[in-house]
Amino acid sequence: MKVKILEWKSFATWHWDLATSADDSGYVEELCGICRVSFDGTCPNCKYPGDDCPIVLGSGCTHNFHLHCILKWLEQESSKGLCPMCRQIFTFKEPEQTSDVLINLKTLIDGHRVMRERFQQGNEQEFEAFGADQDLQMA
Amino acid sequence: MSTPAKRRLMRDFKRMQQDAPSGVSASPLPDNVMKWNAVIIGPSDTPFEDGTFRLILQFDEQYPNKPPSVKFISDMFHPNVYASGELCLDILQNRWSPTYDVSSILTSIQSLLNDPNISSPANVEAANLYKDHRSQYVKRVRETVENSWLEDDLEDDEDDKDDE
Repeated sequence: MKVKILEWKSFATWHWDLATSADDSGYVEELCGICRVSFDGTCPNCKYPGDDCPIVLGSGCTHNFHLHCILKWLEQESSKGLCPMCRQIFTFKEPEQTSDVLINLKTLIDGHRVMRERFQQGNEQEFEAFGADQDLQMA
Repeated sequence: MSTPAKRRLMRDFKRMQQDAPSGVSASPLPDNVMKWNAVIIGPSDTPFEDGTFRLILQFDEQYPNKPPSVKFISDMFHPNVYASGELCLDILQNRWSPTYDVSSILTSIQSLLNDPNISSPANVEAANLYKDHRSQYVKRVRETVENSWLEDDLEDDEDDKDDE
């Protein structure tokens, strides 16, 4: 029997390559913890999944989020720059090709770091001032 | 109109319907998904046992990046609940995380009932009785438990009137 192919259509499926949880259980969280939508779906503001609505992986904690979701959270001052899952300082591994959104994310993370450092310095200065008072009293 | 906050709240609702934690229930108002009614049943083996405590949760468009405001409607006698019914609970203030949802908020409040935080009391009398006169504290709490049932009856009566 001879078969003549008249027409063909190709299909492909894709799936984000997600980090497994840090505890070696091999468990992969399928939902973004912030919007509770599948990583293969989009954040609440996007229409098309994939490169337009990427996933970002916390490099300290290996927690995944939709990039747009973690951006919205880190924009909040009250986030203190922490991962919503584990409250570690949120950092991420920069991919080779960078984009405007990733630069925004980096700026936010840097902003939180500056705030933290300023806060710490403030505390130290107060401590020094307190020490100085004591010296005066002793003199 | 659908917004990110409303979409997330609909997901919270779905989760409440599919696997609600025991002893809590909640649903949005029929005409406003940003406002929810909730009930927490007092955990067994605590003074709050069998109480049906009603709450209102009000969300805004910033949810889940900002916590909802949560308030008891039922009378409460608890070291961390203000006279207004508002709560003093860290996860609803400075320890909020956008990974929390309605289900986890209510579970946290439920466990707060028998595990009050005495260091920052919202109701000083309740905190003092809890510390120094536990039997009196329990008595006052039991009163609120009984009141919580009366409220339910009152509401049933109102419903009956509507039917007439």
